[in-house]
Amino acid sequence: MNDLLPLLVAVPILGAALLVVGSRRMSRPVAELAACTVSGGTAGLAIVLLLNSSPPMTEWVGGWTPVNGESVGIVLTGDGPGLGMAALASLLTLAAMVYSWHYFDEPPRRHAGSFPALMLLFQAGMCGFALAGDLFNLFVWFELMSVVAYALTGTRVEDPKVVQGALTFAVVTSLGAYAVLMGIGMLYARTGELALTQIGRGLDAHGGPDALTLAAFVLILTGLLVKSAAVPFHFWLPDAHAVAPTPVCMLLSGVMVELGTYGVWRVYGTVFSGPGGVPDDDFRRVLLVLGVLTAVVGAVMCWYQRHIKRLLACSTVAHTGLFLIGIGVLTPEGDDGVALYVLGHAGVKAALFACTGVLLDRYGSVDERALHGRARELRPVAVMYVIGALALAGLPPFGTALGKAVTEEAVGGPLTVLMVAATVLTAGAVLRVAAGVFFGLGPEPPGSDTYETTGTGEEPETGSRISRVPDTMTAVPAVLLAAALAVGVAPGFAGLVSHGVSESGSGGLVVSAPHWTPHGVLLGLASTLLATGLAALAVTRPALLTAPDWTQSLRRLQSGHVGDYVAWLLVGAVLLGALALPGVTGS
Amino acid sequence: MSRRVRLWLVLTGGAGLAVLLVAACLNLPSFGGDRHPYGDRAVRASIARHTANVVSSVNFDQRAFDTLGEMTILFGAVLGCVMLLRQTRDEHRARPEPAEVAPPVRRYALLVLPVALVTGIYVIAHGQLSPGGGFQGGVVAATALHLLYLGADYRALERIRPLGVYEVGDALAASSYVVLGLAGLLGSTTFLANSLLPYGTFNTLSSGGTVPLLNAAVGMEVACAVVLLLARFLDQAVEIEKENGE
Repeated sequence: MNDLLPLLVAVPILGAALLVVGSRRMSRPVAELAACTVSGGTAGLAIVLLLNSSPPMTEWVGGWTPVNGESVGIVLTGDGPGLGMAALASLLTLAAMVYSWHYFDEPPRRHAGSFPALMLLFQAGMCGFALAGDLFNLFVWFELMSVVAYALTGTRVEDPKVVQGALTFAVVTSLGAYAVLMGIGMLYARTGELALTQIGRGLDAHGGPDALTLAAFVLILTGLLVKSAAVPFHFWLPDAHAVAPTPVCMLLSGVMVELGTYGVWRVYGTVFSGPGGVPDDDFRRVLLVLGVLTAVVGAVMCWYQRHIKRLLACSTVAHTGLFLIGIGVLTPEGDDGVALYVLGHAGVKAALFACTGVLLDRYGSVDERALHGRARELRPVAVMYVIGALALAGLPPFGTALGKAVTEEAVGGPLTVLMVAATVLTAGAVLRVAAGVFFGLGPEPPGSDTYETTGTGEEPETGSRISRVPDTMTAVPAVLLAAALAVGVAPGFAGLVSHGVSESGSGGLVVSAPHWTPHGVLLGLASTLLATGLAALAVTRPALLTAPDWTQSLRRLQSGHVGDYVAWLLVGAVLLGALALPGVTGS
Repeated sequence: MSRRVRLWLVLTGGAGLAVLLVAACLNLPSFGGDRHPYGDRAVRASIARHTANVVSSVNFDQRAFDTLGEMTILFGAVLGCVMLLRQTRDEHRARPEPAEVAPPVRRYALLVLPVALVTGIYVIAHGQLSPGGGFQGGVVAATALHLLYLGADYRALERIRPLGVYEVGDALAASSYVVLGLAGLLGSTTFLANSLLPYGTFNTLSSGGTVPLLNAAVGMEVACAVVLLLARFLDQAVEIEKENGE
């Protein structure tokens, strides 16, 4: 079975290459159908492997199985989290491709296969990243998914905004990738190894952590946190999401960003968690400080957006913060909670982006104020939007609610309050949008005179505005929401997830299975009520909620100037170093 | 953010990072040491499989899965370029004018072109034996063709460079790498296993098992990809113009 692990990467790559050849003579529907088949087949394979991943599989590609504990080859890790992320990435790619059926108006001549082929390569990169058990191999797939994502983000290249968004994404993420590469160089210099577990053992054999360990930790974490859009590495994300085509947003927010967090979890657990790495207390401090910052900044930025795609992007930033807090407490329960939360969030967030795409293609705008009351006719989309917002708030029995409840219980104390506050603010913002856009509630919003990103005057991605919403564009979000619901209600599912996570995280020590508790249900209901109340307040008494001055300066940081973002990246790397420093100097 | 604030942030962040990196480098193993755990293992593995060029053995045998990723990055970059540098709705194509080329430049370019092309192919073909290989040789071969642009003009280059052929070549080369990997999976149960072909006699062209084949696939992929990338950028610079005549 483990021999089949590399196929999760090889099949989409082969599919993409053959699609490029074939699509020169293929019509668009045939090319898109072929791509969906390849993507779906890979997803099926990932699920089959996932079901057989206990005990975890490992595969030395090319048959370079270690002799006397030494190998020159590359190892793949087919455990629950790795295969789970690969399956999630594959399923979401399939959903995004079905959603974009007959979507783009202008594939370059004789290149009908370009967009689906790039999506397949994106899938291959994400699967490779999820399965990597070798640090350099992890970097290679990190680069593949980045390069493809830049191109996909810039699809509508006619618009200068698109070029800006894709370019900042490319510059910031590339710098993160260079940081990772330097970090790999340092670890290699110390240990002479590239496989994650072997590096970890090499560090432990060398003795306690020193400046080199700290530098490697900072550099590698910088790259991964850029990908996961943690503050202050997050600036590329709203800019890229605002301009990327909707199906691409579904993948960026639904799974690529979470893969960054997954990478942090994987690399810390295998490389830095031993006595030669970074002590637990310091890692916890790093993740909790960054997680809290990210959740607060993301949630506040989310509330004050009127560009709906930016609003959803900022909510992704806030959720990244929550995920970082969840894995940052370093308990098996926290890991279980985050795993469930990521699964639920992927479905909900992708569904919300899909619904926003309908607005964009129908009305040529994603501006909350300009669209006020205009989408009354789109009843099914409105219902899905509200359900998605409530699920985002943590309405039981959605998977988001279960994941959030388990995580909240694991973190405890003031962090629970913060988690509730962040979800209330982000879900409240989405509910506010739904109330205004789909139901026309509240007074007609005034035109704004201050400078801000509005979201009007956008080009529909379908070429011309659609008069009837195609079935695929409504079916996909419906299925995604149903999947997010299934994560919460399917009996035994949470137990399976927890089993997979603990088998690779806490060394096979299976702790109690996560389940609904009265406490968790109450917290979820409270979050939902608070979010609804906040949205109602925003709709009825908008004057009470005018932006205070400090939020203005926070928003001004999102300047769109790539130099600013690079400066913040440097500051962020130093912050990481400062937070982890005590453990290194103390030993 | 004002320039001044940004400058201060960069200086603070850069200084902090510089301190960290210098401190880390002081802890690196000193230069010229005799402990090379990976290097020793890689050389042993390479010689055991009769591959004279250890770097190629690492690239196309021991860590061939990394190379699959790297090749795919290039392939994805080409696809991305096709999509981003397309002729958009507000642009049109203008025929490039023939250009005057100084006779010495023309003579030199036409003289060097075949030499460079053969050099590129040689570097690819001997990848398993001597320094070089698919990546390096592919770039040399692709640049060789562009000497025609310097020596003659853009239209001459376009005549020897039918992009469709190169696109198909690029994709087929990438697929053949994966197919060779799959052959390993079917033949000996591991993806990219180098156990299908005999390892041959050390230091001959046919040594190294599948290394020469994977190397050739990468060579073709890189050559086609570089031609295509340059073509897209040259197209933007030479042929594609804004609709209102910028």
